[in-house]
Amino acid sequence: MIRIVKFLSSSLTIAEMEARKIRHDSTELWTRAVQPALWLLLFGEVFNRIKGITSSNISYITFIAPGVLAQSVLFVSIFYGITIVWERDVGLLTKLLSTPSPRSSIVVGKALAAGVRGIFQAIMIFGLTLIIGINLRLDPFDVISVFVVIVLFAMCFSSLSMTLASLLKTRERMMGIGQAITMPLFFASNAIYPLDLMPEWLRTISLFNPLSYVVDAMRSLLITGDYSGIPLDAVALVLSTLIFVSLASIMIRRLIE
Amino acid sequence: MYALQVKDLTKVYSSRIRAVDSISFNVESGEIFGLLGPNGAGKTTTIKMISTISRPTSGSILVFGVDAEKHPDKVRELIGYIPQSVSVDGDLTGYENLLIFSKLSYVSKKERDARIIFALEYMGLKERANELVKHYSGGMMRRLEIAQALVNRPKLLILDEPTIGLDPASKTKMWDYLKKMNREFGTTILLTTHDMAEADLLCHRIAIMNAGKIAAIGSPQELKMSVGVEMIKLCLDSSAIEKLVIPDELGKIIGYENSSVIISVENAEKKIPSIVEYLLKRGIKIESISFNKPTLNDVFLKYARVAFEEGESYSQARMTRRVFARRSR
Ligand SMILES: Nc1ncnc2c1ncn2[C@@H]1O[C@H](COP(=O)(O)OP(=O)(O)O)[C@@H](O)[C@H]1O
Ligand SMILES: [Mg+2]
Repeated sequence: MIRIVKFLSSSLTIAEMEARKIRHDSTELWTRAVQPALWLLLFGEVFNRIKGITSSNISYITFIAPGVLAQSVLFVSIFYGITIVWERDVGLLTKLLSTPSPRSSIVVGKALAAGVRGIFQAIMIFGLTLIIGINLRLDPFDVISVFVVIVLFAMCFSSLSMTLASLLKTRERMMGIGQAITMPLFFASNAIYPLDLMPEWLRTISLFNPLSYVVDAMRSLLITGDYSGIPLDAVALVLSTLIFVSLASIMIRRLIE
Repeated sequence: MYALQVKDLTKVYSSRIRAVDSISFNVESGEIFGLLGPNGAGKTTTIKMISTISRPTSGSILVFGVDAEKHPDKVRELIGYIPQSVSVDGDLTGYENLLIFSKLSYVSKKERDARIIFALEYMGLKERANELVKHYSGGMMRRLEIAQALVNRPKLLILDEPTIGLDPASKTKMWDYLKKMNREFGTTILLTTHDMAEADLLCHRIAIMNAGKIAAIGSPQELKMSVGVEMIKLCLDSSAIEKLVIPDELGKIIGYENSSVIISVENAEKKIPSIVEYLLKRGIKIESISFNKPTLNDVFLKYARVAFEEGESYSQARMTRRVFARRSR
């Protein structure tokens, strides 16, 4: 087999492994759906009564739906490193890395696996928006594009998480760092308020926050249907994903040494 | 052909611990080779380097002639590695564990299914194949790991403390499986152990390791013979003792003690019946028989100059128990 075929086959096998685990036990999917539900039902409903947060004629709860989706995928991905540390602790990671599969294919596979979980999050949240009557553009093209965005996004941040895991090495530290970075990432983005409401300095920071591009792309696809910003979003997302996946591939062996 | 050639292998951890200190040894193709040593001897560190999981500080490793430093990916195609802690995935079924790892080892689709069915049957896991592995017993998990090796068919199978934490019955079973695999598939096996009986009963040759160094290499028999001879002590009627002669093929009288005669022999268990028969034929009454043969413990004492600590260290025992506890939840 040629190298690229082997690489892809191994990555997909790792993702398949994750999918099979989800099939055996889906409780985690359901518990992870609780938080976005609270954001939409409580936070969204309450702030919906305040007019003028969003400039246009879309309601606030509609406005934050893509942000809440992005946030829940962010949580799944940023804590993905904990799974890796756990797999290291029980000897599973060592076993994976001693197979003939290239190490980078294992990392890409794990990142894809986070994407698989992200897609399940999206399906749950779409279901929720239908129930509470949030009006998203759920036609096939938009939904599939959102899935692509989610997979890239999950790959990006789960790779960041795996890189951190290679440096921090314990589950406790990973919990700590995960909590320390998710909130700043979330608030320094356009997830729950538009960029124009931000003070100048925060707006500058949000320009370097991959989450902003993800939310912008999702909002274009799911709400406005204005695709003009998407090429920039895509470039920013693909670039940061490539960087973090490569970084994680280089770092991962530190975890088992 | 050598399955493994290790030369001047050294690993220094960042904290200046010389975990492995310039060791050299060869493993012949088709051999079962054991690294025997107490906890902290450097066994795990050694096989991690051979499995390309950790990089040597210096020295060279050739696996079937392939340099592990230059071509780690090629080496990984030749080996199967079973770490000390159980490495099967508890959240997948037994069948899925075999399937996923055969894909990651690029076993061709044609052969995969037949091999999986064979391995499940061979290791006695067929009935439980579709059950989640976290409900398996520790012994079954170990068997599943061997089944993975049966599917992937590595030329060199590397196992770290394969029977640690297993009950005596599962232990014996595991030894049988490893021997069978070695015999039927010609798989070369490299394993580590701190269990003398395991090294003695399972391995064709062993290297005795202590404090990062190899103290002695040889077959268990050779090593034991190098430490001392096997002796039979016969307590006889004192009148018989003085005129007693023993033919050379049975043994050699090397001393007397009170009313006993001490005979050096080559294989005490086998020689005792012949000696008894010989004496009875001549009407000599035997009061009692005892025999003494050197053990690997004596070997260890002689070459490593320290007593072999039996049992597991606290942290290791805890680790193993934790893993099994989690897996069997
Ligand atoms: N990752 C590590 N970092 C620092 N020291 C280590 C590491 N792994 C093992 N050691 C040390 O190296 C020595 C050999 O350990 P190890 O190879 O695990 O021995 P064994 O497997 O024979 O019990 C021990 O003193 C151990 O504390
Ligand atoms: Mg060890």
